[in-house]
Amino acid sequence: MSRLRKDPRAERATKTVAEAGRRPRLDLGRREASPASGRPRRDPWREWAASLAGETVTGPERKRYDRSQRQMNRADAARFAKERQSLDATDISPGQPALRVVEAPAFAVFAVVEAAGGRLSRFDRQVLGAARLLADAGDGGGAVVAIVPESVEALGEAGADRVLALPGAATPAIRASMLRSAVEEHGPRHVILAEEGDSADIARRLAACLGEPLFADVEHLTARQAVRAIRGGRAEIGLAPPRLMTIGEDRAKPHEAVPCEARPLEDAAAARLDDPAILSVEIIPGDPAKLALSETDFVVSAGNGVNDFAAFRDLAAVMKATPGASRVVCDAGLMPRQAQVGASGTVLAADCYLALGISGAPQHLQGIAGCEHVIAVNTDLHAAMIERAGLAIVQDAQLVMPALLKLLQERGA
Amino acid sequence: MKTIVLLSDARNPVSGRAQLSRLEAQAIGLAADLDETPQGLHVGPGEEGVAAGLGHGLRGLDVVEAPEGEDPLPALAAFLKDALSGDAPPALVLCGRRGEGGLETGLVPYLLAEALGLPILADAVAMRPGEAPGTLVVDQAMAKGARRRITARLPAIVTVHPLSSPPQPFAFGRMRRGDIRRHAAAVCEVPVDVGAGERPHRARPKLMRTAGTASGGANLHVGPEPEEAARLILAYLEENGIRGYGRG
Repeated sequence: MSRLRKDPRAERATKTVAEAGRRPRLDLGRREASPASGRPRRDPWREWAASLAGETVTGPERKRYDRSQRQMNRADAARFAKERQSLDATDISPGQPALRVVEAPAFAVFAVVEAAGGRLSRFDRQVLGAARLLADAGDGGGAVVAIVPESVEALGEAGADRVLALPGAATPAIRASMLRSAVEEHGPRHVILAEEGDSADIARRLAACLGEPLFADVEHLTARQAVRAIRGGRAEIGLAPPRLMTIGEDRAKPHEAVPCEARPLEDAAAARLDDPAILSVEIIPGDPAKLALSETDFVVSAGNGVNDFAAFRDLAAVMKATPGASRVVCDAGLMPRQAQVGASGTVLAADCYLALGISGAPQHLQGIAGCEHVIAVNTDLHAAMIERAGLAIVQDAQLVMPALLKLLQERGA
Repeated sequence: MKTIVLLSDARNPVSGRAQLSRLEAQAIGLAADLDETPQGLHVGPGEEGVAAGLGHGLRGLDVVEAPEGEDPLPALAAFLKDALSGDAPPALVLCGRRGEGGLETGLVPYLLAEALGLPILADAVAMRPGEAPGTLVVDQAMAKGARRRITARLPAIVTVHPLSSPPQPFAFGRMRRGDIRRHAAAVCEVPVDVGAGERPHRARPKLMRTAGTASGGANLHVGPEPEEAARLILAYLEENGIRGYGRG
């Protein structure tokens, strides 16, 4: 039992009011004022005013309130604010500042992001979210320093207080040595990287040259402990979050609260480093048409609503996507079996899925459970795929395919 | 070029028995394309699991005997340092990405490179000798099927990516014919530092991947013109950073 035992005598004593010249009085309704929590107080009137969506157009004038916006996330809030210019950011989240500023950080947490093409990927946002969690741990006051290879948009929304650009590195060895000098200069409390591709490589190079242990592939991260699996996933170790960490994909939540300022940090002019063992570096872009479905990031898939497969293959090639198909199409022999998406075909790990004429059988939806963005083109408004999709278009896929091809040719893609 | 494949003390995740890691079997396949007689190197209590590497294409195997649970790094570094200063120095050291069944940090190749002063290249899917002598062309796997082709000066350490070609089929006779040389390790007695608080693993759920707009239905368009539908699809793809058409 951890609950405190009641002490009726002491309670009675606290409720006894002694006044001079009168006998002691018992005030049973009296309560101790609870200590201030420090949390900003909600203002229901302001929230109510902010949720005013307009007035009815027809009939007697009545105000219309959109109460669903009370707990909106940042993306929705940004869209909402864009549509209603007159609103302040503080109107959407009353009692919270529009921008979070850490003026003099107590410590720094480095988050190394890849940000290919100047955009943060989902994994990059998770790395920044994990860094935000550690910066706010304990007493807080830490600053998240995003280490980026080039200029990246929307770093503030992802939770970065400062931005440090380490440009112009051709190989992971050079990036690791630049990161090492940044670590030695700023002395961050934690350095977090993604357990994927070059980031995993850089993390290990950094650990080897700093001579520090690396806590690799963290599965569970809180302010108090970081946990990783060992011995082939049969055991795990949990420690207080160590200095060098790589975090696994989909293991930390991205930052969704108030945007941070993402102030650029002035870096001492980095010396041009060279890797004497590397003679030449050449990047060969991947061909999506030849990739396996399990590796690609964008799949265009055909179902029973598609008849013209020549046009479908052209479309997949022009959209730089990997062609996929539903079970019905593969059974009919119209697409090869290795293109089948679903429980008995390939379970995708792609970011985006464009379903042309696919209604969405449960086995098919299992195959795309890992896709973040789904676009559905289908004639049936009540199809399961339309419900699953982020962009749903109720239209014949046979008509949309040539229109897409024509539009892409106009754009010169 | 003389190639050494590092073989780790891998454990089957279910039975816990010693086995050859698949990635190291793939590394043997890559080594066999470059070297007629690829050699293996293992530091551990015995050759129980790694002897299968001989069946996958290794010609010889050096086993440096060290008690179980000891850090293999000093013995590995000492053996390779001897080999590199010998009369037939290895040009290439191949290894997997990380051990299986131990601490699985994937740090050993990097610490070895630091100790030997060799360059290290990660995630190789294909390799061929370079045009100039003493160079190697390595294709590194990157996201979305891209490859980075690096020409590096030898000797070097290269780790292998799972997308490289599958291992050669196992042949029992080849394994029996293979040459196993046993060496005694220099006494170092550095136990592997297992962090305190090792406990049984608990599976933790990953974050769900769902579209942000799935519940809203704001993005539902009933019966638009096909041209409008095409424009909506491309706008959605560009807004979410999937592809940028007409922008390179």
